[in-house]
Amino acid sequence: MVIDIAIVSLAISGVLATYRVLRGPTWGDRVTAFDYLTVNLAVMVVVAALRTGFTSLLDAALIISILGFMSTVALARYLLRGRVMR
Amino acid sequence: MTRGVRWARFASCALAAATGTLARAAAPARAASALDGHPVAQVLILLGCVFLLAAAVGLVRFPDVYTRLHAATKLVTLGGLGIFGGAGIAFYPVDGTPRVLLIAGLFFLTAPLSGYMIARSAYLRGLPWYQEHGSVDDWGALGIESQGSAEER
Repeated sequence: MVIDIAIVSLAISGVLATYRVLRGPTWGDRVTAFDYLTVNLAVMVVVAALRTGFTSLLDAALIISILGFMSTVALARYLLRGRVMR
Repeated sequence: MTRGVRWARFASCALAAATGTLARAAAPARAASALDGHPVAQVLILLGCVFLLAAAVGLVRFPDVYTRLHAATKLVTLGGLGIFGGAGIAFYPVDGTPRVLLIAGLFFLTAPLSGYMIARSAYLRGLPWYQEHGSVDDWGALGIESQGSAEER
């Protein structure tokens, strides 16, 4: 019951963040909503691991979390300077 | 039989079929998940989902980049920590707990940092902010100039 409520609310929040990614007036809104979407995806994978009992999915959640953080930092640095690293 | 009556019968049959499919799909959802018998984990996961949903609503409703960052950084940190903590409690007898705690620690370190990076580059590139109810520009008071404000607006 709790896990179903969690899945539905995470899906609704993903749809709302996708609206902000598509609509966002500036690139800052898009990057913010993209960061939120990666976090939402990692949380959804953890909830799927809870639902099915496959603890191997937690590795996928770890990788998704790290990749989301690194891509957000790379996007922010690129949009600030025009390059990612010196 | 008129067209309206036929459409009404078709709609009622489709509705009955859809609800029957939904009921049959929801029937195996009562299977045991890892969350049964952990009320603390259930409460934590519900709180985390409420915070994530509030963050998404704030992401849609707030007026500019910085307020949306406020919603998407603080609420997401707290909500993700709640969900990961609940999962760590729920996985406790099995071998999932150290990995979930690793994800939670990493997430608690990186989520505010990515929000800070986005806010810094947005300010330094001169994205406009919402000024109807007054605003405080601390970095401008420190003398840090934003670049390229003319062409970005």
